[in-house]
Amino acid sequence: MRIELEIWRQNGPHEDGHFEHHRVDDATPEMSLLELLDRLNDQIVEQGGEPVVFESDCREGVCGSCGFVVNGTPHGPVPHTPACRQHLRAFPGVTRFRLEPFRSAAFPVIRDLAVDRSGLDALIRAGGTVNVMTGTAPDADAIPQPHQEAEQALDFAACIGCGACVAACPNGSAMLFAGAELVHLAKMPQGHQQRGRRARQMVEALDEHFGPCSLYGECARVCPAGIPLSAVAAVNRERLRATFRGKAKDN
Amino acid sequence: MSVADQTTSPTDQIATTDREAIRGDAVVAPSLRRPRPSNITLKVIMAVTGSIFAAFVLVHMIGNLKAFMGPEEFNSYARFLRVVAYPLVPYEGVLWILRIALLVCLAAHIWAGTLIWIRGRRARGSFRRRAMAASTWGARSMLGSGILLLIFIVVHLLDLTLGAGVQSSGFEAPVRTGEAAVDIHAYQNLIASLSRPPMAIFYSLMMLVIGIHLAQGIWNVINDLGGTGPRLRRIWLGIGLLISLAIVIGNGALPILILTGVIS
Repeated sequence: MRIELEIWRQNGPHEDGHFEHHRVDDATPEMSLLELLDRLNDQIVEQGGEPVVFESDCREGVCGSCGFVVNGTPHGPVPHTPACRQHLRAFPGVTRFRLEPFRSAAFPVIRDLAVDRSGLDALIRAGGTVNVMTGTAPDADAIPQPHQEAEQALDFAACIGCGACVAACPNGSAMLFAGAELVHLAKMPQGHQQRGRRARQMVEALDEHFGPCSLYGECARVCPAGIPLSAVAAVNRERLRATFRGKAKDN
Repeated sequence: MSVADQTTSPTDQIATTDREAIRGDAVVAPSLRRPRPSNITLKVIMAVTGSIFAAFVLVHMIGNLKAFMGPEEFNSYARFLRVVAYPLVPYEGVLWILRIALLVCLAAHIWAGTLIWIRGRRARGSFRRRAMAASTWGARSMLGSGILLLIFIVVHLLDLTLGAGVQSSGFEAPVRTGEAAVDIHAYQNLIASLSRPPMAIFYSLMMLVIGIHLAQGIWNVINDLGGTGPRLRRIWLGIGLLISLAIVIGNGALPILILTGVIS
């Protein structure tokens, strides 16, 4: 099948970008969007051009490396699916793709479709970890935890940190990402110990790097990990909880 | 993030004037400022002031329904608002406390909303988000409906409270006739004003705008105040939609009924 591509080309962080037209004549329905780009890059290299820069790693939807905006939607037409798992067979009617990098002031373009997502790293540094030495894996019954709570924590731990929520947000907000971290760690026995401090630090980093939430709900619609919109409310809840408990308390 | 980690050199070592040195894949991180007040503070201000307004609009709508019971009932309610708790508080005391509280809420709501909008635009950068789902329509309309409602509040106050500019020709201001007695023409003013077709249509359309603004706003409140329980969120959403619908129907029907002469 023939695929027409409009791809954002930008020769570096300080260059102006533009859309470039390409055509892939021998695309197959089995190709994912990344494989389509691989094929295109082969074509470009054969003709002596510069290949399109894009990020990818595992290509099975768990690493969070890949991601770009496809026809206006982060990751592509299939909801809750990262770009590497978006196969052409899933949207046979679409043969024209407009690919551009994740757009947000917090995500400056490095080159072509690759953006710098250090803002998300700052959030993880602020509150995405547990500051206790947990040692080797404890026995499963050493620290009891209700089953449902463990399941809920895992649901929110599913975030792969791709940044599609930020790119989907008209306000450039990372509330969904932050909420996933806060809920997941607040529900775990070790993470619970610094629940309040984590919320304060996380919200501070959020304010520094990202915009406010106006509840458009676009983040939850594109999230490849299926993090629900209630994660946004969870950020507010955790921060307000920390306020009511007072600065003297870490948990 | 792997590309960024490998290629980003420490930005603090790059002099801002030395643009020529910044080449290749070195990304200059956006300059960071911690905005004050924080985004969450602004959102809580919006939620609290918006909720006060929602409660006011609901009570106001219930008061308006007295128009269905006739001029005496409607005017006596208007009189009650002026003399309530007299002589503990002065004449119109409670009314002015409510007016000032609402004015403060209005100012805070507009200030916080504008600031959030500006911060959102700035954080998004120069490429606007396009092709959003239809479900975002409520959130996208908030700024526009908010501006329309501000215009409505001004018109409404000029029309039926101050009696200036856009009032009907038969407008009569309340006259205090005794310590706790007042000559009220609220019902007559209402009928005179809404017998004008453009005004009646404007009022009814604005009630639709209020309904949309409230439906989205009440849903925002539960998120801004941190309600995460699935059942709480469902019930809240349902109640919010019911309140919005009640205001659209209760308030929106009144001008149409007056215009068509059902109430006169």
